[in-house]
Amino acid sequence: MTQSVPRKLIILLALVAGLVTIAGTGRILHAQTPAPQAGAPAQDQSKPYTEAEYRTFPKVGSRVAIWAVAQLHLLFAAFVLAVPIFAFIIEVIGYKTGDLRYDRLAYEFTKLLSVSFSLTATFGAALTFMLIVLYPKFTNYLMSVFSPTFLPYVLLFFAEAFFLYTYYYGWGKFHPLLHLGLGLGLNLVGTAIMFIANAWLTFMMSPHGVSDAGAVLSLKDAIFNPTWMPINVHRVIANVAFGGSIAGAYAAFKFLQAETDEERAHYDWMGYIGNFVAISAFLPLPFAGYWLAKEIYAFSQTLGLTMMGGAFSWLFIIQAVLIGNLFLAANYYLWLGMGRVEGQQPLQKFIKYLLVAVTLCFMVWATPRSIIATVSEIRAMGGSAHPILGYLGVMSAKNTAVNILILTTFMSFLLYRRTGKVAAVPWAKKGHTAQLAIFALVALFVIFLGVYGYFVEATVRIKLSVPQVLSVLFAMISITAIDVFLFRGARRTGEVRWGHIPPISQYVLIFIAVTFTWLMGLMGYVRSGLRQHWHVYGVIRDRSVDAFTPTLGFATKVVSVTVLLFFLLIGVVFWISSLHDRPDFRRVKGSDDLSPEQTGAHGHDPRHARV
Amino acid sequence: MRIPLILRIGALVLATTGFYTYVGQMVPQKEVLPPRESTIGPGMTTDDMVRIGREIMEGKGLCLTCHTIGKTSGPLRFPDLAGVDSRAKTRVAGLNDVEYFAQSLYEPTAFVVPGFPPAMPPINKPPIGLTDQEILCVIAYLQTLGGTPTVTLETKHHYYGGGK
Repeated sequence: MTQSVPRKLIILLALVAGLVTIAGTGRILHAQTPAPQAGAPAQDQSKPYTEAEYRTFPKVGSRVAIWAVAQLHLLFAAFVLAVPIFAFIIEVIGYKTGDLRYDRLAYEFTKLLSVSFSLTATFGAALTFMLIVLYPKFTNYLMSVFSPTFLPYVLLFFAEAFFLYTYYYGWGKFHPLLHLGLGLGLNLVGTAIMFIANAWLTFMMSPHGVSDAGAVLSLKDAIFNPTWMPINVHRVIANVAFGGSIAGAYAAFKFLQAETDEERAHYDWMGYIGNFVAISAFLPLPFAGYWLAKEIYAFSQTLGLTMMGGAFSWLFIIQAVLIGNLFLAANYYLWLGMGRVEGQQPLQKFIKYLLVAVTLCFMVWATPRSIIATVSEIRAMGGSAHPILGYLGVMSAKNTAVNILILTTFMSFLLYRRTGKVAAVPWAKKGHTAQLAIFALVALFVIFLGVYGYFVEATVRIKLSVPQVLSVLFAMISITAIDVFLFRGARRTGEVRWGHIPPISQYVLIFIAVTFTWLMGLMGYVRSGLRQHWHVYGVIRDRSVDAFTPTLGFATKVVSVTVLLFFLLIGVVFWISSLHDRPDFRRVKGSDDLSPEQTGAHGHDPRHARV
Repeated sequence: MRIPLILRIGALVLATTGFYTYVGQMVPQKEVLPPRESTIGPGMTTDDMVRIGREIMEGKGLCLTCHTIGKTSGPLRFPDLAGVDSRAKTRVAGLNDVEYFAQSLYEPTAFVVPGFPPAMPPINKPPIGLTDQEILCVIAYLQTLGGTPTVTLETKHHYYGGGK
């Protein structure tokens, strides 16, 4: 009885959802079909065919409907593309080390894929149909430009389904190298699919290979448009960060549900790996973002300035809040994780300095150039920028803050990594000194360039971000390289006790996943909204009722609703994935009915037992 | 009573998205409409052209996204336009102010003010795509910044009508 209630509820909800879908479809059809007029058959027969330029989606409008569906499609696609990347890497580690824990972990990540893959495809189909129905003329134009890419896309999609299902269902059934080959195939095909889809969307932002009137001159140029490769790179990295965070949230959910220490240990470890993947990919993401922004500016200064100095400039203050929260949460999780290691940890005393650095950088990064103020306040300040804080709202200060933020988070990782270990190599002292010197010199160099930026012309200032970024990358790579050798054969001062972490750490993982998702929604909006009243920037004008750029407040509401829908659906994905481990259903003796009573794993009604 | 896990997680997801939505309401709210087509017609005086030129600079032309007028403090991304007409008369040898402005708008990389990047797009082409007459109005307004407007809708320059 207790089991049948939720089942009935689910069936009822499914029926309601089905009815709502049918009713919605009916409304669209009704809205698009003119009512027949009595007594006018002859007129009907002579009515000419006219092609619709736009159709309207009821209630929310076409733009919001497309926006929500595209965002959901992208979020699931990002997850489906990202999970195989780190599942494959973890499986390789398991194969090389022979440690079965890694194999189990990779399999656990992969379990989340098959349902997500179906949802990605469903939202992709919904997006395509909605584009054809709601924006027929524009969709027709895109098809005329990119039609040669459609067949390869479909074939690759078949290949992806083949690789994904053989990779998942073939776990433990093939020679490990063959299985790894399937994983590699899955990753290559998935990436190729994304690259093709990226050509379509980047063409809309930075069209290339077409005449001023939109006629195709070169398909190759249309594909290799100026923002295609930056978006490809940015998306691969962002997908890994996002996928890692969602996998971390899954592990957190399972940790909080766990009833045994063994389960808690496993899911704590899984959450740690998920977060490690997310933050490792997140650290280089701003650099990919710089490249993308640089290409946008190079393609069109107008587009670049609309992004950073025009209608969307305040969006980057919201972005700063999100990224600041991500850094704070990621650092907090790492600091909590130090408690997993037995005994007193001397490195924990550095946390307070890291916290101060992270908070200060966050505050600088979130400082707007100009602030909202009353007329009297503006008069008192002598302008819309604060006389002192206004200097922190410019790119010189913000670039410096984000680079120091990245360096600080990197240091948190490093401290976590060496918790419970003491370097035993003879050159340990020199190694530590070299690491500290690199860190200090790079931090000073980044701050120096930030200050120098205030005293030079715009042409010089813009270029200063490149040495800042390169020096931080240099610090991360060189310090890691030294660390690897420094801690080879390190002496252990305490064992890592997986599962021994406060439960709040798991809520932090979920918070990170929600923040990542929201960030992706927001940045997806700016990438697409940047075109403003153009479907294809400078080529195909948007003449629909939605050609205006909405307020940021409205945009954030749409992003939030989409994020909530995504988490509702990802909850369903987690639930369906967990059915795999559920005990089998068992018939009660002496009864004709199937009973909800359950036995231990793989309970043994022959009709239900797995082979 | 212990709150079920699913509710605790749901509350966290709701609170997080709610917080970010709130942050989104705290920043300036501006709806950006597609540019209005300006009504330029025969019989328009130079004063009318100046007024429309200013409107175009603030709206369809996107000029003030990059340029400032009378900014006195802080670094400049692009040249400030205060007093630009007096500079325009002597900036490039052989070009009067109208010809210099026309060159800056139709062929902006032909001469770039030292210290600034060659980043301005041709204003007569998409995505901005001002018409010859709209550009004349912009020139009329620019002439008021440090000078006296002289252009009319009959004024011809090297770039007018696809010239140059």
